[in-house]
Amino acid sequence: MEFQKLPPVKEQIMKCVRCGKCRSVCPVFEQIRNETAAPRGHVFMVGMLRDGIVEPKQEVYEKLGNCLLCETCSVNCPSGIDIHELNAAARSYIYDKNPSAGKELIFDTMWTRPGFLRTTTMLMGGVQKLGLQTLARNMGLTKILPGDMPKAEKIMTSVPTRSARKQIPKFNRAKGEKKYTVGYFLGCATDLLNPEIAKATVNILTHFGCDVIIPKDMKCCGMPHIANGKMDTARNLMAHNVKIFNSYNLDYIISDCASCSSALAHKNVEFLLGGLKIEDEAFKFSDKVMDLTTFLVEVLDIKLPDKNVTKKTRVTYHDPCHLANAQGIKDAPRELLRRIPEVELVEMPGANTCCGGSGTYSLTHYDLSMKILDKKMDRAMSTGAAKLATCCPSCTMQLKYGTVRSHWDCEVVHPVVLANRSLQQSLVKK
Amino acid sequence: MDKAAVKNELVKMLGHEKVLSEDLDLMYYSYDSSFLTKLEPANPTAVVMPRSTEDVAQVMRFAFENDIPVIPRGAGTGETGGCIALRGGIVLDLSTWDEIIEIDASNMQVLVRPGVIHAKLNEELAKFNLFFPPDPGSSQMCTIGGMVANNASGLRAVKYGTTEQYILGLEVVLANGDIITTGGMKAKCIKNVSGLNLTKLMVGSEGVLGVVTRVRLRCWPKPRARGIAMAVFDNLDEAPAAVLDVYQAGILPSGIEILDSSAINAVNSFKPQINLPQAEAILLFEVDGNPPGVEFEGNIIKEVVGKRARTVEWSTEAKRMAELWEGRSITATAAARVKADGSRIFAGEDISVPLSKVADTLRQIRALGDKYGIKVVNYGHIGDGNVHTAPVINPENPDEVEKVLQLVDDIHRLAVELEGTTTGEHGVGAVRRQYAELEHGLAVKYMQGVKDAFDAKGIMNPGKLF
Ligand SMILES: Cc1cc2nc3c(=O)[nH]c(=O)nc-3n(C[C@H](O)[C@H](O)[C@H](O)COP(=O)(O)OP(=O)(O)OC[C@H]3O[C@@H](n4cnc5c(N)ncnc54)[C@H](O)[C@@H]3O)c2cc1C
Ligand code: SF4
Ligand code: SF4
Repeated sequence: MEFQKLPPVKEQIMKCVRCGKCRSVCPVFEQIRNETAAPRGHVFMVGMLRDGIVEPKQEVYEKLGNCLLCETCSVNCPSGIDIHELNAAARSYIYDKNPSAGKELIFDTMWTRPGFLRTTTMLMGGVQKLGLQTLARNMGLTKILPGDMPKAEKIMTSVPTRSARKQIPKFNRAKGEKKYTVGYFLGCATDLLNPEIAKATVNILTHFGCDVIIPKDMKCCGMPHIANGKMDTARNLMAHNVKIFNSYNLDYIISDCASCSSALAHKNVEFLLGGLKIEDEAFKFSDKVMDLTTFLVEVLDIKLPDKNVTKKTRVTYHDPCHLANAQGIKDAPRELLRRIPEVELVEMPGANTCCGGSGTYSLTHYDLSMKILDKKMDRAMSTGAAKLATCCPSCTMQLKYGTVRSHWDCEVVHPVVLANRSLQQSLVKK
Repeated sequence: MDKAAVKNELVKMLGHEKVLSEDLDLMYYSYDSSFLTKLEPANPTAVVMPRSTEDVAQVMRFAFENDIPVIPRGAGTGETGGCIALRGGIVLDLSTWDEIIEIDASNMQVLVRPGVIHAKLNEELAKFNLFFPPDPGSSQMCTIGGMVANNASGLRAVKYGTTEQYILGLEVVLANGDIITTGGMKAKCIKNVSGLNLTKLMVGSEGVLGVVTRVRLRCWPKPRARGIAMAVFDNLDEAPAAVLDVYQAGILPSGIEILDSSAINAVNSFKPQINLPQAEAILLFEVDGNPPGVEFEGNIIKEVVGKRARTVEWSTEAKRMAELWEGRSITATAAARVKADGSRIFAGEDISVPLSKVADTLRQIRALGDKYGIKVVNYGHIGDGNVHTAPVINPENPDEVEKVLQLVDDIHRLAVELEGTTTGEHGVGAVRRQYAELEHGLAVKYMQGVKDAFDAKGIMNPGKLF
């Protein structure tokens, strides 16, 4: 659909009364402090683009690109404006008109082809000593990291040698009585960077009565493309995944990753549809999508085996923006943690402020991202926790780096991994 | 001096960090919250983000020598285009200069730079059991500098007054670069009648006399308890009468807010679960102080207002108070709901009339809305007669824009006719200066004289106030 006719662009821009409420909550604005980085400024600039007052040029892309798409502004806007959607739509528009503004190579070729992405990441694991920079140069990916590349390399965690898919079968049968058949949307980052989350997810789901199917030919959820102005690619990915998952008879489609579940949720699918005439199929799919922790707590209502724990581990929880802001999910991950006998949950101040990671933002805006991260780490450390739990691979990568930067001996971990550890220990003792 | 030269000089003077000069960057400074700047955004020649009084003085000396307008800006939440470079010039974005220099708890005062955000200041003061009472709806966004320049107030003005009551002294950089301290160079005292009161002159001067670079504010002890009463009226006239009854019963609430039927409908269609009762008006009374005092005053309000209202509900319980208050706090936003493709606009939004004329005013505004076929939502601080009108239009429809501008003009004239004013708290800026003669007559000439004494070349925030 034409940019000017997209529903948020057409209907929402005029509703901005420029009250500035969004300025007061934006983590990027808090650092930059001038109006060019204010969410209100983004809404204004999208309006200027729409009206043809500014051209869809690289410099405009860069202004709009200085945003984590964390949605904090949108959930706080009294006029109900989806500021991040306007921003994403505008980036896509600029990209379409002016492809050199975006990051074509990495996003078009790599993320849309799971096989290629996997090989590349594995290759990266193999050549880690060689460094991301050399690798990227060899692959012609230099556009992704203007300037900040050498610093950003430090953030990339070591890549496991075997992806989750290599370790988990496509079909996993429920243990005991079967309750549901679930499709597991195994996102790229969990698959490649955090296979232990995928293993824990499948273990827990099967243990509590789910047949778990991991469709072989599913592709990326499209979130990185939305963030980098590639709306068309995101739309095609969505259509592809809809087709693949709808070909199975599933009760739920579960994702452990905050970004994936928010990309696949009804609201985002609606936003992505554009001109595609596949509403019925797409909503049939998206209405089955559920965040893993919500599924475990609210649908399966799991109870982990009781045990006497003499000394509980202090765990603090960081809200991923794509869970807390995009989907309003704050209780379920905490409740899951509370149900783990070994865990004592302690809240950090500002648990729901962004960590500054946001996919590739930490790579493209290193210095700024680090300021946001350091503030987050100070707050997390003030709890005296030994583990930092979160439900998003991008946050995980960023927070892990944060623990290194602040010399904090702390494991960054998905709640489901802790739940699975507790379960497995109980099973072994039996 | 041409634009490029101005930018170069500023960068030379202050460095790239403190100056924005790319055309694209400047566009972001073409608006504030006013409807005016939605219609006619205006870009400055350059934006400077000063971090010291000397930075400001340097810019002023340069601008003075070269006849360049200078426009102070806080967070740009003003509704009047006050911080906009209508005729080009240098915008001073003071919002990044946000140091709390000293909280002097033993003297109940605080010294701040202009960019401190109101809510953040109160967060810090709360640690000392203190607060800075004026509380604009924009508390989380607006700066102390902007509040001083606009003499801002808010919900609690009925008891605590406006910003001006709390300013002990200011540091101001004048048009020619002179730096003055008002209220005594060293004075920290609360009572002070020494000299001409330049502090009061500066407060509310909307940046046309100088740039406020430091503010000494008086703070008050933070009240320990609060209670809220919601009263529902079948007859609009009973609402202001009930307010008077409360005053006459010896009670000075910390806030008295009104929603008329248009606002009640807007809130209910925005959030049906709030489910405000259908009525001609709803009043919310807030009292604060120590717990027994609050309970005592609440009982009197219940009794006195109960004689005129259909129902009165009183609560001191946090959750219920938040529910009672929710209708009021979302009205400004909910207003847009009265029209499918509508957006509320900030224009004609701030008249103030005598208490005895509030009911009449609300009726006449609704009639004017009907006359122009424009939906309006009315709410406001009835305790001090300050009526907020929210016209709701599609701002991208030229026909509606034209009509709403006529409506707004009528509302402003109505306020003056009813022995009120065009603005109770938001200020004049660029959008209400055409009423200066009507409101002030010959006094405008003397206002201009004062302006000339401070700013002979007329470079300070031109095109504003009168
Ligand atoms: C949702 C909303 C609710 C509001 N509610 C209220 C309310 O309840 N009560 C109320 O009074 N106002 C209210 N306002 C209006 C506005 O927020 C206030 O007037 C506020 O004080 C403006 O502060 P600012 O920092 O945004 O100033 P700006 O809008 O940036 O500037 C306002 C004026 O002050 C001048 N100025 C700013 N800083 C300085 C300085 N350091 N030295 C000299 N001049 C300066 C500017 O030139 C301009 O004329 C509201 C606005 C919004 C958007
Ligand atoms: S909070 Fe919403 S209405 Fe207010 S300035 Fe931001 S986008 Fe506009
Ligand atoms: S999405 Fe987050 S980073 Fe982007 S403008 Fe909104 S609050 Fe700021």
